[in-house]
Amino acid sequence: MREAIPAEKPYFLASLREWIFTTDHKKIGIMYFVTSYIFFLVAGVFGLVIRAEQTQPGFQFVSPEFYNYLLTGHGAVMLLWWAIAAHIGGFGNFLLPLMIGARDVAFPRLNAFSFWSFFGASLLVLLTLIPGNHIKMMWTGYPPYSATGDAGPTALYVFIIHLIGISSIAGAVNFITTYIKMRAPGIGFWNTNMFVHCLIGANVIQLIGVPSLAGAVTMLLLDKYLGTNFYNPAKGGDPLLYQNVFWFYSHPVVYVQVLPIFGFFSEILPTFARRPLFGYVSMVFAVWGIVILSFEVWIHHMFVSGVPDWARVIMSYTTILIAVPTGIKIFNWIATLHGGAIILRTPMLYALGGIFMFLIGGLTGIPNAMVAIDLGISDSLFIVGHFHYVLAMAVTLGILAAITYWYPKATGRMFPEGLGKLSFWLTFIGANLLFFFQMVVGMLGNPRRYPDYPAIPEWVMLHQIQTVGGIILGLGILVFTIAMIKGLKGEKAPANPWQSPSLEWRIDSPAPAHNFGDKPPKVEPDYHPYKYGAPPAF
Amino acid sequence: MEQVFALPAAWWFDAVKVWLVVAVVIYIVTAIPGVYFIMKYRYKPGEREMGDHEREGHWGLEAAWTIIPTIIVLFLATYSFTIFKLQRTPPKDAMTIKVYGFMWGFQTDYLDDNGKVIKTVYSFYKPDNYDAGENEKIVVPAGKPVKALLTSKDVIHSFYVMPARITEDMVPGRITHLWFQINKPGEYWIFCREFCGTGHSHMFAKLKVVPPEEFTAWLKGDNKGLAEKNTETKESL
Ligand SMILES: [Cu+2]
Repeated sequence: MREAIPAEKPYFLASLREWIFTTDHKKIGIMYFVTSYIFFLVAGVFGLVIRAEQTQPGFQFVSPEFYNYLLTGHGAVMLLWWAIAAHIGGFGNFLLPLMIGARDVAFPRLNAFSFWSFFGASLLVLLTLIPGNHIKMMWTGYPPYSATGDAGPTALYVFIIHLIGISSIAGAVNFITTYIKMRAPGIGFWNTNMFVHCLIGANVIQLIGVPSLAGAVTMLLLDKYLGTNFYNPAKGGDPLLYQNVFWFYSHPVVYVQVLPIFGFFSEILPTFARRPLFGYVSMVFAVWGIVILSFEVWIHHMFVSGVPDWARVIMSYTTILIAVPTGIKIFNWIATLHGGAIILRTPMLYALGGIFMFLIGGLTGIPNAMVAIDLGISDSLFIVGHFHYVLAMAVTLGILAAITYWYPKATGRMFPEGLGKLSFWLTFIGANLLFFFQMVVGMLGNPRRYPDYPAIPEWVMLHQIQTVGGIILGLGILVFTIAMIKGLKGEKAPANPWQSPSLEWRIDSPAPAHNFGDKPPKVEPDYHPYKYGAPPAF
Repeated sequence: MEQVFALPAAWWFDAVKVWLVVAVVIYIVTAIPGVYFIMKYRYKPGEREMGDHEREGHWGLEAAWTIIPTIIVLFLATYSFTIFKLQRTPPKDAMTIKVYGFMWGFQTDYLDDNGKVIKTVYSFYKPDNYDAGENEKIVVPAGKPVKALLTSKDVIHSFYVMPARITEDMVPGRITHLWFQINKPGEYWIFCREFCGTGHSHMFAKLKVVPPEEFTAWLKGDNKGLAEKNTETKESL
């Protein structure tokens, strides 16, 4: 079902009907991205209400029930929409065929199916906005709580996970096949863009892990509605079974979420340092090291859940070892800066900011792996602050970096530079104030998922600093959103505004409907995506 | 931070200090060169227009930042393992209490030498405050290790003894455990930190640490009226 759009017409000037029935990877990528971005804004507003509620002890704005709904929605949507669909569905679809010189993905119709089941899940999420449909069991949905009436409509949650899961599995099959079978002649394993390596690594995790999550929530559904007893201890079931099966996927999913971000950093840093990525080969090994290790660490989410002590010790070692490949990536990025000719444009600012935040996120991850420390900080706000450094800061700054970097290729316009820089500083400062002091109050003992807390003076003060940070962060995202919309009417972009040798920049901006035309692009024998031939003119 | 001498908190604070030192050192040796390179290797028209294309990697350096971090993290994990053993092994002379979590509150059973329940304390949640009645406080003797056997009557809860910096989940159908010892008499916080629904943020208890003689007197004290009152409150819930 290829549409008959004349080649000279940019792909996005199609009619609404063409958008809905499209199988074009670029349009599907943009639909994924726009859906995720809207959900990101909504979940962000949820986050601000959550933040506001904790400013003072007592219940000021929302009831505990509604707070639990907001927290469930914030977590699930940020993790599954923003931190997966936006970059894997959005950027993955848009960039993978362009970076390997392909016409489209391997199975375009399956790709459209992926998007529409993701879209179906999005509609189901909107249903939870109706009072009475509030899911209140947190995105982790632990039984036996999730099997009680207090938890809200568990079935709705399970169907959302099923639809998202189908979409992810189909997407993973598609991306992996595309990379193996559809590379232009001349594109091999050792001159593939880092983003593609990371994307394929992430999708391998998806393919292995998603069935595990789907199984966990399916058993939950059967338990709650059909009277099975997988997790019911009164009838010989075990609630820890859920946690094991759930985290077997849901820890590796963290790497699904950050690997493409590592890809973004690895694309953007060389471009704005005007030199090749340092340690490309060790970077590739690090990606696959992370993929393999990611499935051996899930017990660290269960260090206080009552699993045997020996299991905690073994997983403490495997968990802490994952710091090694992630460390390799950070050191290589820093080394890429050495000897560069660095230009601090908006994408570079966002990427550097993201790397520095990821450094803090990584170092504050170590105490969670050290089981002795974890016994004292488990389920405190420390862990919340830590994973927000990784997910809310490194991932968000990474996606925003990617938006500003590939904006010309998607829209044919340049991203507004002034507003972009302003939004960077607001986001960066606000998020640091928010999440750093969240870790501090967690170290002092403040439990997580608490809308209210005792009026301990240090806690109150630390929460107030966080709220100030939250407001600044919110402003930063607002400015970014305005810039993104304003840029659609902004300065026209050339085909290769960053003068990058990478394949996706060899076609017009916006990308033409048929990508490289009828024949695959000519790839020089010594092609490498980070070989910068000429001084930049931007 | 409540810095009272307590176990296993004392070891926990040591572990946190070791981690903090390592983390700050790694941050400095990574971030400072990073910022310095950004300052120094700036694009300058006519002067510095192209980055260095000679060095695309350096096996010695890359090996160094693979091997050194591996040694550091293996050291940290092993060090944490030695502390973990202390945290998980209650001293032989520890007194045992049984604590049940429920939606929402804690029930603490005190046992005699034969394991018979001789006293029960209920710590009920308060929907909008953190005030515990005198008979709702979990009383333990100062300077004596206490081993808590934990389980739940409904959903998963957890038992976080804040002054001792130790948590363990309360799982229905399982008995988990932790131990702690607090040397200074006073009142301390206990929280549920595993999400358990609407009352989660008010599922707390006050831990009242008293001199051992006072504890013995309290344990022997007349508890009849208290027990009846508790059953009443529980049924009315
Ligand atoms: Cu609880």
